[in-house]
Parts: sequence; C-alpha cells; structure tokens
Amino acid sequence: MNQPKKSRYLNPYIGGVLLGLVLLAANFISGRGLGASGAIKSVVVATTQTVAPKYAARTKYFQEYHEEHSGPPLKNWLVFQMLGVIVGGFASGAFAGRLKFKVEHSPEITSRRRLVFALLGGIFFGVGSQLGRGCTSGSALSGIAVISFGGIITMMAIFGGAYALAWFFRKNWI
Amino acid sequence: MGPLAVNDIISPNTNFFLAFVIGIGFGFVLEQSGFSSSRKLAGLFYGYDMVVLKVFFTGGVTAMLGLLFFSLFGWVDLNLVYVNPTFLTSAIVGGLIMGAGFIMGGFCPGTSFCGAAIGKLDAMIFILGLFIGVYFFAFGYPMFETLYKSAPMSSPKISTMLNLSDGVFAFILVVVALGMFYLAEWVEKKFPREEY
Amino acid sequence: MKPLHYLTLILMILALIIALVPQNTTRPYKLTALQMLTEIRAGTQFVSPDEVADKIVKKDPSIQMIDVRNPREFDMFSLPGAINIPLQDILSETNFDLLNQGTKMNIFYSNGSTEANEAWLLTRQLGYQNNYVLQGGLNYWMETILNPMPPGNVISNDEIARYDFRKAASMAMGGGNISAIAPSAAAPAGTPKPGVVPVQKKKKASGGC
Repeated sequence: MNQPKKSRYLNPYIGGVLLGLVLLAANFISGRGLGASGAIKSVVVATTQTVAPKYAARTKYFQEYHEEHSGPPLKNWLVFQMLGVIVGGFASGAFAGRLKFKVEHSPEITSRRRLVFALLGGIFFGVGSQLGRGCTSGSALSGIAVISFGGIITMMAIFGGAYALAWFFRKNWI
Repeated sequence: MGPLAVNDIISPNTNFFLAFVIGIGFGFVLEQSGFSSSRKLAGLFYGYDMVVLKVFFTGGVTAMLGLLFFSLFGWVDLNLVYVNPTFLTSAIVGGLIMGAGFIMGGFCPGTSFCGAAIGKLDAMIFILGLFIGVYFFAFGYPMFETLYKSAPMSSPKISTMLNLSDGVFAFILVVVALGMFYLAEWVEKKFPREEY
Repeated sequence: MKPLHYLTLILMILALIIALVPQNTTRPYKLTALQMLTEIRAGTQFVSPDEVADKIVKKDPSIQMIDVRNPREFDMFSLPGAINIPLQDILSETNFDLLNQGTKMNIFYSNGSTEANEAWLLTRQLGYQNNYVLQGGLNYWMETILNPMPPGNVISNDEIARYDFRKAASMAMGGGNISAIAPSAAAPAGTPKPGVVPVQKKKKASGGC
C-alpha cells in the first residue's frame, strides 16, 4: 500500500467540516444537537405504550419520559432526524454505488460470528446510551459543539473504553 | 434571532420538517465519509484508519467555532441552546459500556442507521441490539436508577469549570484537535492497510 | 495531506479570533420600552396578599414564592415555601431555569414592593413570563394577613368573609393576634386580577439523545 490509493470516500476533513455545518444548522435552527439513541428511546416508549399501556403507565421509566417530553413519543425531533439519516445515507450510498446487502467482517472470522458480536455490541450500546444520556452523536459530538462538560467526559469514556478492550477483539477487525 | 425554533420564528411543524432535512444532511455526510463501514470505523482502535477521529473532531470543532461566531454576531443566544445535563458517574459508566459496545459491534447508533440504509446486515443486527439494550434499560430501570441519577451537576460548560472564556477554551480544543490530526496521519502511515 | 493544511490554517485563524474577542454575554432585551410601559401601567404583575395567602394555605403547588431580600433577612423571616434569590443574583446563570419557565407562578417579594418589582422588571424585559410581585411586600402582608383588622362599622358580608379568611390564614401561618393599627380600608383598589399561569411553551429546546 505504498502508492497512495484514491479513496472511495470523501476526504475526512471535508466530511468533517460538512458534518460541523449540519450540526451548526441543527443548533441554529432547533437549538439542539444531533442524536440517534434518543430516537430509539422514543420508539421503545411508543411501542411499549401501544402494546402494554397499563404497564407503561405504572412504570417509572415511562413516567419520567413523559415528564421530560411533551406530546406523543413519536412526534419527536430526533425521530424525524433519524428518518432523514436513513434517507440521506441511502441517497449517498446510491450515488456512490455502495448499495448492497452484505455482512462486513474481517476475513479471519465468519459472518455468523460478526453478527453475534454486532448484536452484543448493539445491546451494550443501547444500555450505555441510556446511562450516558446520549450516544456518540447526541452526547459526545453535540457536547463538543456546546463545550458541555458531560459530553466531553462521555466522549472520553467511550473512546477510552473501546481502546481498553480493543486488544481482546482484534481478531474481529484486523 | 436564533435558535429559530426556540424563539418561535419557525413553527413546531416546520421544525420537525427541518429535523428531517438536517437528518438527510447528517446521514449523507456520514455515509460519504465512510461511516457506514464498521471495519473503517473500528480502524480507529487499531490505527489502520483514523477517519472517525478526523471527521468527528473536525465536525465538533467546526460547529463549536460556528456557534461562538454566531453568538458573537448576535445571531444565536447560546443560553437557549440545549446542553445535555451532566450526571458524572452515569456519564462515565455509560461511556465505558458504550465503548465496549463500539469495539464489539463496530458501530455507534448514528452510523449503524447509515450502514443499514445501504444494506449492511451487520448494521441492521446492531440496531436490533440497540432496541434490546434500550428495552432492557427501560424494564430494568429500577436497577439502574440510583446510578443514572448520581452526581448531578446540572449542565456545566467545561470553560466555566476551568474559569476560561469560551473562546480561549475553543482555541485550546482546536489546537488539541489539530495535534491529533497530525498524529493520526502519522499513525496511518505507520500501520498501512488497504481501505475497506 | 493538502486539505489538512487548509483546515489547519482556517481553524487556527478562526480560533485565534474567537479567543481574542471578548465574549458576547449581553442578553438582548425581548420587550421594547413601549411594551414595558404598557405592562407597568396596567400593573398586571401585582398579586394581592389575600390571593397569595389563599394559595399558601392551600399549599398550591403551582406557586413559588421568591424572596429577593438578602440572605440574612431571609433567614430571619420568610414566607412558607419561599426560596431566596437576592436581587443582585437575579441575572445569574444558575437562576435562569427558575425564572424562565412555564409551569409555576413565581411571586417575588421584598420588604416593600420596590425590590420585588425591580426583579420583575428585569426578568420581564428579558421576555420571561409567569413572574409576579406580592403587592405591598412583607410590610403590607404583616398588616393584612398576620394581624388582620376587624372590619369597622360599615360591615358588609364581603368584609367579614375577608376578615375571617385573613384570621384563618394568620392562624395557619402562625401569625400573632395582636391588634395592629392598620390603615383602614387601604386595600388596593382596582388591581386587575393576576391571571392563572399562562400556558407557555418550553423556552428551551428539549433534548435528550
């Protein structure tokens, strides 16, 4: 890999500046940062309330959700934003010719192993994002933009945690 | 003037529509930068691809400078911009758990949706995992509640805690970020690997 | 490597500017002088002691008494459930959420009504809603609520009812029953009734990723 190979992707610094402008627009227009896990939370609340309304009404987690948010859970800023993310991601993939069903993994491991770890990783991230009050986008990225103490602490914990465990999972990736 | 939605310059429904538009921009930029690929994302932790670091910090720093300039020009009232509340213990423990999730799953929530949008099956499974995780947290909330609410600190800014002006702190952060970028370029040269 | 060099140059220049320029901390006034004049003349910010006493006795959760005197005075005497925000701290960042909110009716009070009214003026100009002033301050409160005067010769049912209420409120709040020399019929005339908490939308964008 000595000769510089042209990347299929946008230059990361240009991508970063564009990402920053999107985040700036979110802050300027709506007074808030970007996010992802909050949309999942909204869907979780909405489905639980539909499937088991009585359970939701007497369970603290759902009560507290309604103290913090007004209106129906799906009529939420982040839900609309995440729908946009899916559309935007799809459009970008279509432009670049990257639309393809596949499981991406290191040649050293099987697809099955990759999927098991993806599921595990998702579960961990789901729990962690609730404790951290936001994920990489909602807490860390948006936190940097507004110089939030909590956001930057969460960011350091995410990357610190991942680096600390990287050695144990190297076979999955390298 | 800004934030537009908070100051009632645009209606709540317009705000939701713009959320969708902002989301499209967010998803497009993430995918264009290669965030739909878990192996590319995981490269950060093994040094073969530092794209996450570069995009992430360039984005954060750009938005931060933008907001400070907007505030300087009186275009946006920073007091009305939402800052996530800090609960120190919960933020650290949650962050570490997310770190574990990141290294196992290779995605974070935002990027997994991007990956799923272009057909990555592992991203879809990761999203399934996210839902299971959030349900688990919701149903087991009494178990987490003490931790979740410990060490509340309202919504402090780092600059205030360090007794610096926002501008000076921003300058320091920009220098740190640029330092990391040059380091990242060096690391990538040291651990070369074909792009995934 | 090229884009990184550009980025370095641009970010460093911008960061230097932002570090050297003093921070814009001014909060724009949301109400014009004319709007303020109209509100001041209407006097809608005043809440009568009777009404406040009624709410305190009923332990109405929708009110929040805010004492704007200094902490020493606050420690010596304060109204039930009151919190202390001295006038000099009224613009402090920490009190922002308390003063700019849409769920409670904040009622400022001081010894007279001057300081409380000043607190209201400041917060109102910033566009905050739901802040009110206890009419006449603590002095008038003492006269009317803690030591109510029995109605004079001309007795109307109304006045008896009011006296009874004040007596009851006084007992409820542990006031003495010493007869005070109160100015007769000094009841404020023609103050428009302060509205119930106007439903106001959230002033901060909701967040929570």
